[in-house]
Amino acid sequence: MINIKLTVNGEVFEDTVTERMLLVDYLRDQLTLTGTHVGCTYEGVCGACTVHLDGEAVKSCLLLAAQADGHEITTVEGLANGGPLSALQQSFSDEHGLQCGFCTPGILMNMSEFLTLNPDPTDDEIRHGLIGNLCRCTGYVQIVKAVRNAARAMRETS
Amino acid sequence: MYPALIEEYVRPQSVADALAAIARYEAGDAIFLAGGQSAMQAMKSRMLRPQCVVDLQAISELKGIVSDASGVRIGAMTRYVEIAASAELQGGFAALGDAARRVGDRQVRNRGTIGGSVCWNYAASCTPAVVLGLQGQLRLTSGDGASRSVAADDFFLGPLETARNDDEILLSVEWPLFVERSGSAYAKWGLVTDALPVIGVCVRVSLDADGRCESARVVLSGLANGATHVAAGDSLLLGCDGDADAIEAALKRIAQDTDTHSDMSADADYRRQLIVSIGRDVTATAFRRARGEA
Repeated sequence: MINIKLTVNGEVFEDTVTERMLLVDYLRDQLTLTGTHVGCTYEGVCGACTVHLDGEAVKSCLLLAAQADGHEITTVEGLANGGPLSALQQSFSDEHGLQCGFCTPGILMNMSEFLTLNPDPTDDEIRHGLIGNLCRCTGYVQIVKAVRNAARAMRETS
Repeated sequence: MYPALIEEYVRPQSVADALAAIARYEAGDAIFLAGGQSAMQAMKSRMLRPQCVVDLQAISELKGIVSDASGVRIGAMTRYVEIAASAELQGGFAALGDAARRVGDRQVRNRGTIGGSVCWNYAASCTPAVVLGLQGQLRLTSGDGASRSVAADDFFLGPLETARNDDEILLSVEWPLFVERSGSAYAKWGLVTDALPVIGVCVRVSLDADGRCESARVVLSGLANGATHVAAGDSLLLGCDGDADAIEAALKRIAQDTDTHSDMSADADYRRQLIVSIGRDVTATAFRRARGEA
């Protein structure tokens, strides 16, 4: 067992975990932050478990919880954090950027970092940015539209 | 998919501490974890069952790209996202950025490292092919303080095999400065965008004052034996001035003479077609870069 101390969505947690515990399992099972999803039985291919590690999008099934010790994690719950939806979340709602919604948390976490680096992306750039996230409903047209419109909304308010 | 029991996780702050940590275990019982984008998969599938994980994330001396009068040095823990964005890697080094921008996906590029990729040396991967194509030097050090530099030609021994010993750590991938008028490029084709290469081609050329190729290097990825240097391809490009027909003819010969394999992704003939169609664009790009064009 190993002691870890990390910040998740602005709150500091100190916990004891097994060395082999995956970050996604720590978030879901220990912190009950079940917005972070497991879509591909932990194979690292679906992107549904994407979270921010120190502000960067990473797959939480490809990290040990121990590796996150000392770092800052943001999950999908941290985007609105109980307040109003973020511009990106609002845009997914407005544009029907989800069907079953299972992949949505990972896409939101990936695209929220992507838009900070590229505030005015082309559709091709959005599609390229989304490669690490699978939508099994194949609703990509609406997803791309939601990201594009969110980018515009964010540019207009910034 | 869940790792087997891990008894110890350590996060050393220095190379010396990392080597001391690994020395406490029998060879193979402790592993270095770089970005973890391959190793974590191998641990979850139980292909790797380390008793101890030595996480290299906090060792700042392993990070970063240095380019100066003596050459280029890329720390082993430098991530794809950093290589992709580097303004230092132009001309003869540009293939590194080509590969890094197209590895996996954004999330993988935010974690995956050049050192992790070359030390894992997965058969269908891009970074080993580019490091082999650009003839990088792999700088390794072990617990007794000794360090050695291994040429890429001697480092990659076959899929999942390298010349690195279990008790050695890769410090960096290094190059002396390329001569002027050098250019390189890499591209691949996979089943989906940015997927593992079914075929990838890395080409580096150096031109003489008249714009003719005076040295070349052709390396393929996606073959059964992993990154493969096609020595015959090097000589086929000699004297070429970048003429499209000459490049096409050279690539056809390279494809013809390459021992491609068939698998569920592509059959052997299709792989040969890919070598030609990807290779001619890559070669033309390498020539353009060598001439200093965009």
